[in-house]
Order: sequence, then C-alpha cells, then structure tokens
Amino acid sequence: MSASQSAVRSRAEAIKVSRTFDWMICFVLFFIILGGYHIHYMLTGGDWDFWTDWKDRRLWVTVAPIVSITFPAAVQSVLWWRYRLPFGAVLCVLGLLFGEWINRYFNFWGWTYFPINFCFPSQLLPGAIVLDVILLLSNSMVLTAVVGGLAYGLLFYPGNWPVIAPLHVPVEYNGMVMTLADLQGYHYVRTGTPEYIRMVEKGTLRTFGKDVAPVSAFFSGFVSILIYFLWHFFGKWFGSTAFVKST
Amino acid sequence: MKLIKDKVAKLSFVALLMTVTAAMFYTPTASAHGEKSQAAFMRMRTIHWYDLHWSKETVAVNETMTVNGKFHVFAGWPETVDKPESSFLNIGIPGPVFIRQGSWIGGKLVPRSVALELGETYEFKVLLRARRPGDWHVHSMMNVEGGGPIIGPGKWVTITGSMKSFTNPVTTLTGDTIDLETYNRENTYFWHTFWFVVGLAWVGFWIRKPVFVPRLLAVDAGKANTLITDGEKKVGMAFAAGTMALVAFLMQTTNDKYPVTTPLQAGLLRGMIPIEKHAPTISVKVDDATYRVPGRAMQMTLTITNNGDEPVRLAEFNTAGVRFLDSKVWEDDTNYPDDLLAEDGLSVSDNSAIAPGEKRTVEVTASDAAWEVYRLADLIYDPDSRFAGLLFFSKENGQREMVTVDAPLIPSFI
Repeated sequence: MSASQSAVRSRAEAIKVSRTFDWMICFVLFFIILGGYHIHYMLTGGDWDFWTDWKDRRLWVTVAPIVSITFPAAVQSVLWWRYRLPFGAVLCVLGLLFGEWINRYFNFWGWTYFPINFCFPSQLLPGAIVLDVILLLSNSMVLTAVVGGLAYGLLFYPGNWPVIAPLHVPVEYNGMVMTLADLQGYHYVRTGTPEYIRMVEKGTLRTFGKDVAPVSAFFSGFVSILIYFLWHFFGKWFGSTAFVKST
Repeated sequence: MKLIKDKVAKLSFVALLMTVTAAMFYTPTASAHGEKSQAAFMRMRTIHWYDLHWSKETVAVNETMTVNGKFHVFAGWPETVDKPESSFLNIGIPGPVFIRQGSWIGGKLVPRSVALELGETYEFKVLLRARRPGDWHVHSMMNVEGGGPIIGPGKWVTITGSMKSFTNPVTTLTGDTIDLETYNRENTYFWHTFWFVVGLAWVGFWIRKPVFVPRLLAVDAGKANTLITDGEKKVGMAFAAGTMALVAFLMQTTNDKYPVTTPLQAGLLRGMIPIEKHAPTISVKVDDATYRVPGRAMQMTLTITNNGDEPVRLAEFNTAGVRFLDSKVWEDDTNYPDDLLAEDGLSVSDNSAIAPGEKRTVEVTASDAAWEVYRLADLIYDPDSRFAGLLFFSKENGQREMVTVDAPLIPSFI
C-alpha cells in the first residue's frame, strides 16, 4: 500500500475506523482535560474548593466561577468552531469533578482521613450546561460570553446551596457562635492551614447587609464574561492548524 | 561485545525494576513533622514553649487528652519573621488523628486567630479527642501570619481502638444533634452524582453520533450549520431550562428545609490575657557566647545579679524546647520527652547559691547531642547569628524565676 492509498477499503470500514477514533479521542481528551483543568483549578481556586469552612458567601462565590470558566471557554472554542460540538464546558467540568472526587476520596480521606463532608468539591455543572446550551442556540461567542458567562457566575451559589446550606446551620460552641462548617475547620486539624489564611467574609461589600451572595454572584458573572473572552481566544489559537510551506 | 552489552542492559533493567518494586513495598509511615528542619533561629527566638504537659501517653478512640503549658513570646523577635499580630494556636499532629475539641489562651477559647504581644507569657491548653489509632507525635504549635508554623516540643502518644467507633456529636442551635463525622455526606454524594449523571447525559447525547472526523470534514467544507438539527436545539433548550428550573427549585426547598443559616464566622481575637508579670529580681548579662561545633556545646559567660531577697541557683537553660538541666539543682518530674531533655546538660563554673544583692560572673556550658539531633547547631548558618533562650533560676522555696537571654553567638570550629 502506498502513502496515497486509503487505509480503509469500504464505507462501512471507514465509519468503523472513524467511530473507533471517536472513542479513543474522547477517552484521551477527557483525561488530558482532567489533568490540565484540575491542576489549574487547584492552583487558582485551591482552598476555596477544598474545605467547607472556605465556602463563604463572598469570596468563594466570586473566585470559583471566575477561575473555573477558563478551560470550559477554551475547550468550547475548539469543539464548537472545529467540530460544531456544544459540550466543551460540560466535558471539562465532568473531567474536573471526576479528578477532584478521586483526589478527595483517595487523598483527603484515604490518606489523611479528612471526612468527605468537609472536603468535597464545588458543583460547577449547572453553569456548564447553560454555557453549552447558550453556545448551541446562539452560535455566537459574544452572546455565550455575555449571557453564558453571567449565567455561569449566577448559577454557582444556588447550584451549590443544597449541599452547603446544612453546613451553615449555627451552633453554640463554648460560648461562641459558629457554623457547622467553621466547627469542621476547627475540629479536623490542618497544621498547614491556620485560621488566619482563611480568606472568607473579607472585603468592603457591607451595604447589602446579609444579602451579599447575589451581589458577589453578579460580580463573579461579570468577571467571568471577561475571562470567557480571553480563554475562548486561547482555545481558538490552540485549536488552529498551521502548516509549514514547502520550499 | 554486543552480547555483553545486551546482558548489561537487561540486567540493568531488571535491577531498575527491582529497585522500583522494593521502593513501592517499603513505604514507612511519616509520623513526625520535619520539626528539626525548621530554621534554628525560628525555634530559638520566636515562641518559647515551657512547662509543657501531655496528660496521657496512651488514649483510646473517643477519649480526650490535653496538652497544656506556657509560651513566652520573645521580645527579641527576629526582623526576618513577621510579628505575631495574627497568630493561631494550632496543634502539630499528622492530620486529624485527633480532633481539636477546644483550645484556650489565658483561659479564653481561641478557635480563631489571635494577636499576641511581644515580651508576654501566656498559658495555653489544647483539648484533643482521639480519632485515628496509631503512634503520633503531638506537638504544641503556633502559626504566625507571615512567619509560618512555629513548632514546639512533641511527644509520642498512642491511640488505641478503631476509627470506625469514632463519633463527633454536635447539637446545633436549631436543636438537632448530628454526628459531624458523617453529617451531610449522603446529601453531598447524592447531588454530585445527580449532576454528574445529567452532565454525562448531555455529553452522551452528542457523542451518540459520529463525532470528530465527519464533523471536521463538514465544518471544513463550509457545512457547519447543517450539523445541528432543530431537534438537537430543542433538547438543548430542555437541558438549560430544566437545569435553571431545578436550581431555583432546589434553592427554595433548601431554604425551607434550613430556614436558619448563618455566614461563616471569622475575625481576629484581641486582648489575650498574659500571665501577670512580677518585677524581675534577677538580671543576667551575656558577656559572650560561643558554640563549639566539635563539642556540641554552647558556652556562655553570664554576669548574674540577684536583686531579690532570696538566694538563687541556675537550674535550667531552655531553648527551642530543649531543656538543659543542672541535676544538682533541678530534676524534671513532668515526664518530659527524653530526646528533648538533657538532665545533666548544664554545667556552671560556680553554681552555689547567689546571695541577695550578689553579682557573679559564671561560665555556663549547655552540652548535649540534642544540639545536633535537633539541628540547633545550624544556627551558625543563619543570617542573624544570635541565640536566645530561657534561663530558670531556682529559689530555696522551690519557686522558679525565668529570665530571657538574647545575644550574638560566635561559632568555634576547633
């Protein structure tokens, strides 16, 4: 067989090869995204995602969507503009959550015995689904960034609330009021994570009283729009093909 | 020649495999905390821990023990370390093998960071409840913002029993008693699994048909818009609408289920109450100090003035948790960790009682292998070659008086 001949001899065989190729790429892609996105998110979201006593209504709500919309934007860009596939964001988040759960279960719990109810990851899937669907319906990067990015930020807190709320029930502890999440952070000793490095409830957003989470979510959504643009272009550049001209 | 080369290559490969395999099977438990690796000046010139007491050496799962004692916040705090204006009383253990049920400084609960004053001495107590069986090194520990963890002396404590029997009951302000060890776990598993399945369904919907090659060819041929059908758009709309509706619904039902929730609590606790200071009756001037590397000994020339009304004798030099005692003056009865105790490590050229009003210059030597074992000798490689520590003088009535010393240190290599 010469180089110019086809590797397959029939249409049926071509479909079969193409499908095998699909599964191989999906499998590899999933784990490549898992690795890259996981490292990125651990380095930028880190403790906010590790511990329940970091998951507050101000900074966690703000930081997590901003730093997590990155890979979804880039992978969406590649999968949409090159293949018209609208599942880039969900694929990323599935990979991230799969990796995070392996990490939390085997490392945090299995090796160091932190209870899972103290170190589970944040939920990002509702925002990712909406982000993908907006790209599918609009076929527009601008609309996806503006509407999808905002929705991604806004859906984060309510999407996590069913799991977080039980840990925000107050408790009286030796004369002080704490949430159950605070108590987890106090009980389950972390020698390398002292209380003062906990970046929670800091900032000047005091005008809105107790209703600060929606304001933080809007701000997060706004910055997510900007980050979406940036990473969408990263994805576009990364997904481009360049050939060297023959001399 | 080729045969020999091939054999060497094969044997090398086998040796490599055996090494890797051996390394996999030999994985000893890391039970301590690298306390000896911390810069010597950090341990000698920041927080001085003393009078430490571990209430138990063996404790069963669910039982409690305490670590208590005093710490002196050194007035000569090094410039290279941030001041302890935001500090956290921690406990140095390998992860949550105990849970910390309470920690107090000067009788005040300190679940949050605290501001400490230089030159003051504080009493502390940490109440621990055993959780994970094993032999664990339990240290006193202070985290200082901008300075890092400052680890104190450690003692081995054995936890017996089974972790399966560990429970952590807590009663909330809404009147429910929960087990914090497992509380909310099934709820977390459920919602994460639920959303994961929804996500898989979304991706599965798109990869049910050929994915990469035909779609790439179609896009390159300018037929991208033909790849998405109206039906697929409707499915997409259903996913998005369902997701948003479900999130809104869950938000509402969660609020109904947990009507009382509060934000995370944070803040700095000020006004820690130090131990009341008494007017010092003994003053000590360090005339010179050298560390003899070959002899593992620190030699100090001290001029001691007794301004009190009772005779005193030098009993102990304590630095970085290592205690050098003159056994003729003071014997330890606190069951202090052996490796940190030099029972005869302190010799004084004239350690007869210093009478009230007397001023005496003495040669003091603190020698023990602990200088090397605890890597305190590395002080000579620090950027600011000074040593510091606590001197304890004994009075006839059994009381002690503490004096801090802080002076340049000259290494001697011969």
